Amino acid sequence: MTTIEFDIRGQICPSSLLTALREINAHEAALRERAVRLHFLTDNRDCVTTIPESARNMGYAAEVLREQGCYRIEVHGD
Amino acid sequence: MTEPASRAGGEAGSPGQELRRLSERHALATKYIREKVDELLKVIGTSPLRPEELDDETLIGLDPIGIVAGSFRQVLGHLNRTNEQLRFAHEELTAIFESAGLGILVIDRDQKILASNAKLRAQFGTGDTDIIGRRCRDIICKSDRPDRPCPFRVTLDTGEAYRCPDWPVGGRHYDITETALRNLAGEITGSVLVYSDITERIAAEEALRHSEERYRDLFEHSSDLILSTRRDGSLEYVNSAWCTTLGYSHEEAERLSLLDLLHPTCDAGCRDRFQGLLRGEGGGRMRTVLSAKSGRMVVLEGDVRVVRENGQPVGFRAILRDITEREILEEELRKREKLESVGLLAGGIAHDFNNILTAVLGNINLAQAVADPHDPVHARLAEAEKATLAARGLTQQLLTFAKGGSPIKRPVSIAQLVKEHAVFACRGTSTFCHVVTDPALWAAEVDEGQIGQVVHNLVLNAVQAMDGGGTVFVSADNVTLETQRDPLLPQGRFVRITVRDAGSGIPRENLQRMFDPYFTTKPGGSGLGLAVSYSIVKQHGGHIRVDSEQGSGTTFTVLLPAAGQALPPEQATVPAAQTGNGRILVMDDDRVVRETAGAMLAELGYEVECAPDGGAALALYERARSEGRPFDLVIMDLTIPGGVGGKEAIKQFLALDPAVRALVSSGYSNDPVMASYAEHGFYGVISKPYRLTDLGAAIKAAMGTAPAAP
Repeated sequence: MTTIEFDIRGQICPSSLLTALREINAHEAALRERAVRLHFLTDNRDCVTTIPESARNMGYAAEVLREQGCYRIEVHGD
Repeated sequence: MTEPASRAGGEAGSPGQELRRLSERHALATKYIREKVDELLKVIGTSPLRPEELDDETLIGLDPIGIVAGSFRQVLGHLNRTNEQLRFAHEELTAIFESAGLGILVIDRDQKILASNAKLRAQFGTGDTDIIGRRCRDIICKSDRPDRPCPFRVTLDTGEAYRCPDWPVGGRHYDITETALRNLAGEITGSVLVYSDITERIAAEEALRHSEERYRDLFEHSSDLILSTRRDGSLEYVNSAWCTTLGYSHEEAERLSLLDLLHPTCDAGCRDRFQGLLRGEGGGRMRTVLSAKSGRMVVLEGDVRVVRENGQPVGFRAILRDITEREILEEELRKREKLESVGLLAGGIAHDFNNILTAVLGNINLAQAVADPHDPVHARLAEAEKATLAARGLTQQLLTFAKGGSPIKRPVSIAQLVKEHAVFACRGTSTFCHVVTDPALWAAEVDEGQIGQVVHNLVLNAVQAMDGGGTVFVSADNVTLETQRDPLLPQGRFVRITVRDAGSGIPRENLQRMFDPYFTTKPGGSGLGLAVSYSIVKQHGGHIRVDSEQGSGTTFTVLLPAAGQALPPEQATVPAAQTGNGRILVMDDDRVVRETAGAMLAELGYEVECAPDGGAALALYERARSEGRPFDLVIMDLTIPGGVGGKEAIKQFLALDPAVRALVSSGYSNDPVMASYAEHGFYGVISKPYRLTDLGAAIKAAMGTAPAAP
């Protein structure tokens, strides 16, 4: 399974959310087929809520991992 | 966003105006996009766009509406899939709900029915009636529990799950579990009750309980011993008969292993067989010997079966019968049969032999009567008499075996008898005889000679058991058997004679044969002493037992029924033959006996006539009466081959003269007629061979006593 990482640090919601949604839309088929995982690196706290929640509403699984100075949000097919 | 029609459809102006107009339109469009994007972002749940975050150009380039629209498409798709899954799940749940083998009821907080499945409606017979909205009490419990508080309120009030393992209603039994239903806020909105009909299970359990009770009752009241063991032979179950027979309580039995209870006499194969059973081998019919708590030997016979689980032996079960008593009786019967077969032979020999001895002894006595006491021949005659009496003793021993032989009993002081014979048996040996008798010893009705012989034999046996000398302990005491512990003895009072030696003891294998005729381990032993003793004691209604351990000496115990009457006063010993006068008729088929008896009677002073059988004797008696010179006494031989013997003749004599006085005489001294002479009409008995003194005393007694009651 391929992992694509997006560094959206420095962005704040909602622009960071829009970026994440755009990538999720772009990789919809691969995500549904569980061929790809999307990782979003963010330092915006709001993103920790908005991105996973939106991803889940679209039928994906999403986890948040705390890393050094940022958060890693993993989105993948459920 | 709406635009005024005048402007939307206005005319084209100068380029500056056109540019301004386009700028205004662009600004309006950008504002519109930003507002709509904010609305969409609000729906998504995030904050609106900030101008400093995205300038208009970036906003347009990013295409947020397209992004959000694409996301919404995905959200919608996900919702559709979720709805589909929910619909499928609902159908699945409905199918489970309706097809469950358990009744399911959903109620609200007021216990009004929200839903029920077909099984529940079938359980409570509601058919197709719509029960939604009705109180469960009216549908389920009805009138069965009108006044009792409903236990199922607990779940509705507390939210805790509740289970009622047996809820009887409508003649059936239900195991009911109740689980609370909550809304998203966690508030209790009702509950789900699941009804499992356990009526059949309850009935099966009841039937099983009855069945177990029935089997337990059968087991516990069985007279047979029932047991089951575990894999290691420890007792898992024993019934009451087992406990009673072996003397252990149920609690004690649980701590015992059957292998520990095997009696030492149980042969070597016995233990092997039990161990084989524990390995799963063998089974079927078997005999075994166990030790009771008291040490008593218990012989058991029955069926044993290996118990298996998953093909592996886990112990064995047995139903056994206590055959201890039966084996003792069978052993007794065996001994008696052996003695009786010997007796048939012995009786015939002894009878003829006694007739010969009567002539010998009588003539010796007659010779003694006429011989000078200082003549050396007198001493020789005394020796001859002694030898004859010894021969008489031997015939008495043989007669003891004779079939039908009965002792001639009279109340006797056992203490005196024991002392005399015990001390006599030790005389001339290196053994000391220590005799202890109870001062208040009961009398016993015994044949003095026979019981004396028993004591003599037992003490002699003890003396011979102690080659190097020692002490033989002889005792006599009273014993009362309250309960019938011994199958060979009734309850009652007994006089107990014990003879104990300190010899080397008797090997176990010989103990069973100790009383067998001709069984002896002594060089030169006849094998008759203990057999005779056994026979004598049995004929007295008593019991004889031997206990011995190798290296610990031997003890013989004799039990004789105590007499119901006191001893008669001691009679003075008559030192010499009692003479008398009168007429005596002697009836005997043996000429020598007739002549000897005639001479002895003449010596005693009587006038004698003789007859060879009952017919001739009766004729003589009748003629003498008619001639006025009647006989005072008739001495009749009991057995006359080919002629009328005493038993028949006395009837004829009594018919002729009811006052006739007669003595019965026989070499067959153990004949039942000799023991119960009075019942046949005789005044007394005189056993052949007899001494002059015996004859004189018997005649005096018969002629001087009142008629005995028949």
